[in-house]
Amino acid sequence: MQSLLKFIQKYSNFLVFINLEVVAFLLLASYNEYPKSSFFSTANQIVAFNYQVGNTISSYFQLKSANEALENENVALRNQISVLQNQLEKSAEQSDYTYSHLDYTYIPAKVIQLTTNKHNNYLTINKGRRDSVYQGMGIRNAEGVVGIVSTVGEKFSLVIPVINTNSHISCKFTKNGYYGTIEWDGVNCKYAQLVDVASHISVEPGDTIVTSGLSPVFPAEIPIAIVESAVLKEGASYYTIQVRLNTDFRKIEYVQLINNHRFNELKELTDETD
Amino acid sequence: MRQINVIIQWFVFIALQILLFNNLQFWGLCQPQVYLLCLLMFPITLPRWADMLIGLALGLFMDILCNSIGVHMAACIFIMFIRQPLLAYFVQDHERLTGEISTQTISFDAFLKYTLILVFLHQICISLLSAWTFHHFGMTLLQIIISATIAEGLILGYNLIRAR
Repeated sequence: MQSLLKFIQKYSNFLVFINLEVVAFLLLASYNEYPKSSFFSTANQIVAFNYQVGNTISSYFQLKSANEALENENVALRNQISVLQNQLEKSAEQSDYTYSHLDYTYIPAKVIQLTTNKHNNYLTINKGRRDSVYQGMGIRNAEGVVGIVSTVGEKFSLVIPVINTNSHISCKFTKNGYYGTIEWDGVNCKYAQLVDVASHISVEPGDTIVTSGLSPVFPAEIPIAIVESAVLKEGASYYTIQVRLNTDFRKIEYVQLINNHRFNELKELTDETD
Repeated sequence: MRQINVIIQWFVFIALQILLFNNLQFWGLCQPQVYLLCLLMFPITLPRWADMLIGLALGLFMDILCNSIGVHMAACIFIMFIRQPLLAYFVQDHERLTGEISTQTISFDAFLKYTLILVFLHQICISLLSAWTFHHFGMTLLQIIISATIAEGLILGYNLIRAR
């Protein structure tokens, strides 16, 4: 017993060090991949409030570009409305019309904090539980897909953007409808990688990639990226595809949360199947 | 008065880290961890276990601000664990040091070696734990070298300016 006490006394600092490091690594292992606690993230109200104050000040310096972006978005939305009106008129007489687009509504939000220079980037938005935000909600902006909500606080939420190494977003080619997955290698915030594209498919630089609509997170046809280069290594069964992301994450300011009214229903079905 | 100065210094360095240095782009290669200066300059009057708890607190605070739970915490605890023995190795009469560690209290040579080693070790911990993989290890290595060199330059520059 005495020798044990002597041992502890002698190596007390080392034992404290090991214990504290174990705590740190446990936190790292449990939160790093998918930060679940709003307390330990910028979805924390106090931390987010500070970022919001800072963001309010810096926003004044970006008003010009924000106005331009809003104007562009307005034009795009007007075009979309006219297309949808045409479609509605055409299909009004068809009894099998399902109004599938009405499954989704959009909630506007503002980005108050983001990183683009890390392996695992995150962004914080100024909408939370009280604004009906839920975990797993998709986020887009006028340019394309932004990411998925990972942690929801009362007034703020944390988002895993496409430029996070843990992000995997189901997508498809516009030209032929073949599916793939968009991932990020942690290097350049302008480019991502398209994986799981089999070698028999024809892939050309300039091909557009949009959301597949296979998951309840994003509706189909939201732009994600454009193929920059596609390489098929000798003997490989899958392409190595580099894509240029539509969303410019360095300038991102306003986003829209995609509220899928059937999210829970679909998720329960998926969970049951799993 | 000395405590107030230390608190102001900590506040300024953490604010600079969050608002300025964490937002440097340069292809993600330049992320100097300047807030480490708060720990490097901290007096060695406290026992090592208390030093490590301070490292834990600052690391956890930085992690919450950076959405990187565990990364800064692990790195700061490690730095605080090896700080006192390292200082004892470079400074012969380290027992007399009661104030903060700077170029005014120890020789420039000793301060350079002490900060250089700790800044590099801290950056290695941060970069490897953040990446959590050895893929693109070349990029991670480049990030460690660039970020640590810039951080060391800023830390030395700040100390030299203060000494004048």
